[in-house]
Amino acid sequence: MREWTGVFRRGLSLENPLTMLMIGLCPTLAVSTKVEGAFFMGVAVIFVLTMSVVLVSSLRLYVPEQVRIPVFIVIVASFVTIVDLSMKAFLPDVYIFLGVWIPLIVTNCIILGRAEAFAYHNKVSLSAADGLGMGAGFSIVIVTLGLIRELFGSGEIVFLGARLLSFPEWYRAPNVLLLFPGAFIVFGFMVAAAKWYNLRTGTRMVQTSAHCTIEEGGR
Amino acid sequence: METLQHFALLLVGAALVNNILLTRFIGLCPFFGVSNSMDTSLGMAGGVLFVLTLASSVTWVAWNLLLDPLGVGNFLYIPSFILVIAALVQFVEMYLRKAIPALHRSLGIFLPLITTNCAVLATAVESVRPGFFKMGIEYGFGFGEALVYTIGVALGFGIALISFAALRERLEVAPVPEIMRGTPMAFITAGLLSFGYVGLGGLFGL
Repeated sequence: MREWTGVFRRGLSLENPLTMLMIGLCPTLAVSTKVEGAFFMGVAVIFVLTMSVVLVSSLRLYVPEQVRIPVFIVIVASFVTIVDLSMKAFLPDVYIFLGVWIPLIVTNCIILGRAEAFAYHNKVSLSAADGLGMGAGFSIVIVTLGLIRELFGSGEIVFLGARLLSFPEWYRAPNVLLLFPGAFIVFGFMVAAAKWYNLRTGTRMVQTSAHCTIEEGGR
Repeated sequence: METLQHFALLLVGAALVNNILLTRFIGLCPFFGVSNSMDTSLGMAGGVLFVLTLASSVTWVAWNLLLDPLGVGNFLYIPSFILVIAALVQFVEMYLRKAIPALHRSLGIFLPLITTNCAVLATAVESVRPGFFKMGIEYGFGFGEALVYTIGVALGFGIALISFAALRERLEVAPVPEIMRGTPMAFITAGLLSFGYVGLGGLFGL
């Protein structure tokens, strides 16, 4: 059990995929203009990631090493298709907002990266912990970014049609936060904040050069 | 004349107004991963142009001749596109290594990396599947339109990547506060670079 929570917590702080490992950036910056979109993106990634790593991990003894990448891709693509069709059916507004980012979960480096780096070598329960932890770490960062951008950029937070929070009338929202430069700049400061926090608490820094381009290059 | 104008607008819209890296955030991993030096950026830009054109043509044919007529497109497009792209890139790499070693030496190492780049899948999906593309141009591209759109996307990728690499080479020697050194500063630089593309928004009604 202790091992399980240890693996789970790693995804939240030390090996957070976004602020520490710098993988899976594209959907983060693109869909964080709205908390709603960011939240459902997080949910979709948690679902796909956990299910895929559990399946990969339970099949790891039967999948030969030479064909593992195509097998992983087919597994991930099947779960993404489930998300794609069910979101289209039950949450049509969110589906339209997320658009091309739903099929692009397949190429999200976090999922293939965790299947390759962790699930292929570990047992099912630990892989599930890793998937949940990494997914939660991803969701926390993306929802925080969405909160900052929507609250300060549009002056209010609307979630599934309900207004949760809003600034008074005199607040003139700087539109730039909702545009693309805002995403890059706010995320840059978030990375710096995570770095500062880790330095202060004396957490050991992990290698930050684990880009998907490098990680998946050795196949 | 009419057609020429249409294709020119499509090219400009895909390359600059809807730049794939800086305004739509697709394919950011190589953008931050290989932009450390000018040489790798040039190689990556060339590789993306090559793979994107090839992959989009093949997936366009697969969609219009196979998936759409059979009526299975909505269920199978994600797995089939990604498998077609991955297989295609593997075969191209083998062929290049055998037939044109010089080109393989300059592009070779980038080819496998590009397969898992979301820019390729996104462009392939957008050039065949209506409804995802924000530009106010008719959906359901013909083959020529899909090709021009893809080349435009690849050119936009190259422009953004190479200009960012040039900025980052200067940033190496700039005095940056310790906590912002490295990736945080790279993000802020990218944000400032993308301000240039805000000005292009809405140009020609694209």
